[in-house]
Amino acid sequence: MIRVAAKLWAFIVRDFQQQVSYRLAFLLQIGGMFLSLGAFFFLTRMIDPEAKGLDGMNPFEWMLLGLAFQYYFSTALYAFSAKVRSEQMMGTLEAMLVSPTSTGLVIFSSAAWDFTYAGFRVLLYLGGAWLIFGISFHLENFPVLILGVVLTLLSSVGLGMLSASFILYFKRGDPINFFLSGMTTFFGTVFFPAEQLPAFLQGVSDYLPITWSLRVVRGALLLGKGFAELKNDLLALTVLTAVLLPAGLFLSRIAIRKAKQEGSLVQY
Amino acid sequence: MGHAVEARRLEKRFTRRRSIRDILFHPFRSPEAVQALRGVDLTIREGEIFGLLGPNGAGKTTLLKILSCLVLPDVGTAAIGGYPTSREQLVKPLIGLVHSDERSFYWRLTGRQNMNFFSTLYEVPREARDARVDELLRKVDMEEAADRPFADYSSGMKQRMSIARALLHDPPILLMDEPTRSLDPAAALSLRRFIQDELSGRDRKTIVLATHNLHEAELLCSRIAILMKGKVRQIGTVEEVRRWGLDTRNYEMEVDRWPVEAGERFAVLSDRSWEDGRRVRVALAGEDGLNLLLAFLMERGVKLRSCNQVDADLEGAFARILEAE
Repeated sequence: MIRVAAKLWAFIVRDFQQQVSYRLAFLLQIGGMFLSLGAFFFLTRMIDPEAKGLDGMNPFEWMLLGLAFQYYFSTALYAFSAKVRSEQMMGTLEAMLVSPTSTGLVIFSSAAWDFTYAGFRVLLYLGGAWLIFGISFHLENFPVLILGVVLTLLSSVGLGMLSASFILYFKRGDPINFFLSGMTTFFGTVFFPAEQLPAFLQGVSDYLPITWSLRVVRGALLLGKGFAELKNDLLALTVLTAVLLPAGLFLSRIAIRKAKQEGSLVQY
Repeated sequence: MGHAVEARRLEKRFTRRRSIRDILFHPFRSPEAVQALRGVDLTIREGEIFGLLGPNGAGKTTLLKILSCLVLPDVGTAAIGGYPTSREQLVKPLIGLVHSDERSFYWRLTGRQNMNFFSTLYEVPREARDARVDELLRKVDMEEAADRPFADYSSGMKQRMSIARALLHDPPILLMDEPTRSLDPAAALSLRRFIQDELSGRDRKTIVLATHNLHEAELLCSRIAILMKGKVRQIGTVEEVRRWGLDTRNYEMEVDRWPVEAGERFAVLSDRSWEDGRRVRVALAGEDGLNLLLAFLMERGVKLRSCNQVDADLEGAFARILEAE
C-alpha cells in the first residue's frame, strides 16, 4: 500500500514539476478561471431564482457548484485517455511499463495530478466565489460533503477507466469522451435542473453519477442538509459507483491484455 | 552457467485494425497482417553479450518487446532467468530496457528529476534513492549535467541517461535496442566501450543487443543470432556465423615467386607483385587444403615468407544468408 502511495505521489510530483515549468500558462489558466467565474455571476443574474428545480437556491451558487464538480467528471473522462495517448506519443509509456510497476497502476496514476489539480480548481472556484462574490457555504455537515466528494471521485474514476479502456483498445478516445461529456453536461444538472427538460428525458439524469453527486454537494453546501436528508442521494451515488468502478477496472484489464496481444500498447 | 534468456517457438503476428468504413464496404476481406516472428528459438547464457542482428523489420524489436513483457506472443514461450514472461512481476525486476528512442524521457524535467521519478517506478527503496541516482549519474558520466533540462542534452547524453535508467533496479539482464542508432561515431565508440568495459566486464550483466550495425556486433558480441523475416537464420559465436556458407578458407601468403601451375591447381583470388616477390590470396577447400598447397610449393622450391588466414567477415556472411533467403 505504501509502495502504491509512493508511486502515486511520484506521478503527482512529476506532473507538478512539468506544470510549473510552464509558469505563464499556469498563471493564465488561474486568471481565466476567475474571469469565467465572473461571467457566470452576471449571466445567472438573468435567471429567475424561482425557476423550477432550483429548490430555492441562488442560480449563481447552484451553477457554481455544477461547474466546479463537472470539472471533476470531465477530468476523469479526459485525463486517463489523454495521458495514455500522450505518453504513447512521447514514448514514455514504454519506459514506465517495462518497470516493475503494473500496467494498471501506471495508467491509474497517470491521472493522479489531474485529479489533484481538479480538486485545487474546485477549491479555487469556491474560495473565489466566497471572497469575490460573498457566497456563503454551509460547512456544518462536512462529513457528508466529504463522503459525497469521495463517491464523486470514485465514480468519475470508474468512468475515466472506461474511457481509457476505449482508447487502449481502439486507439481513439474522442468519440466516447465526446458522448459521455455531452451526456454529463446536458443531462447531469450542471447548467440547468433536470426538471427543465421535457418529461420523457428527465429520467436520463438519474443514470448519471454527476446528478446525484451534485444533489449531495448542493444539498450539503448550499442548503445545509445532513445525512438523513441526503441518504437517498448518497445511496444512488453509491450504487452507480459500485457499478462504474469495478466495470472500469475490469474493462481496463481486458483492454490492457488485448493491447498487449495486439502489440498496440506502446505504439501510437 | 545458467540461461538468462530462453525463447521457444516464439511466433507473433500483428494484424492491422480495419476501419469501420473498410468493414462495411469489404466485409469479407481479411485484415492486413504482418508475421513479425516465425518460431524463434534461442538461448542466451548468463553474462554474455548476445547480438540480435537483422535488417529493419526482421523482428528484433518485437522479440525484445516480448522479452520485456510489453507484447504477448501468439505461440511459444519466452523465459527470463527461468521465469516465463507471463509472470511479469517476477520477470520485470530482472530486466532493464535501453531504448533507442530519445523521446522516452520527460524533456522539460531535468535528468535528475527524470531519474527520481523512474526510481520510484523501479521500486528503489526510498532511503537509498538519492544515493542510487547519484551513483548511476556518476557511472554514466552525467553527474555535472544532471540538473539541466533533458531537452538540452545531446543524443549521446540522452542515450547514457537511458542506460542509467535501465540500471536503476540493478537488473542482471539488459535489453538494448539499437543503443547507438542516433549517435555520432565518437559517441557511439564511447558507448560501446562503456557497454564492453563497464556493463559486461565489470558488472557482469547479460546484454541482449539488437542492432543492424554488423561492425558493432563483431566488436561487442560473444554470440549472435541473425534474424530475417522473423526467423533465426543463424546462431552461434561471431566466428561461427562469419564462416557460415563458406566451404573454403582464405589465406594470404607472401612468396618469392608463384608457379604458373599453382594457379591451375588452386583457386587464386588475387595475385600481385609485392616488394621483390608476390602476394597471393588463395581459397583452399577442406581441412588439409593448406598442407597440400605448402607441399606443392616446397616441391618447387618456392620460398614462403608469410602465410596468414584471412578472416571471413560478418558482412560477407550476412550477404550470403540474405542471398540464401
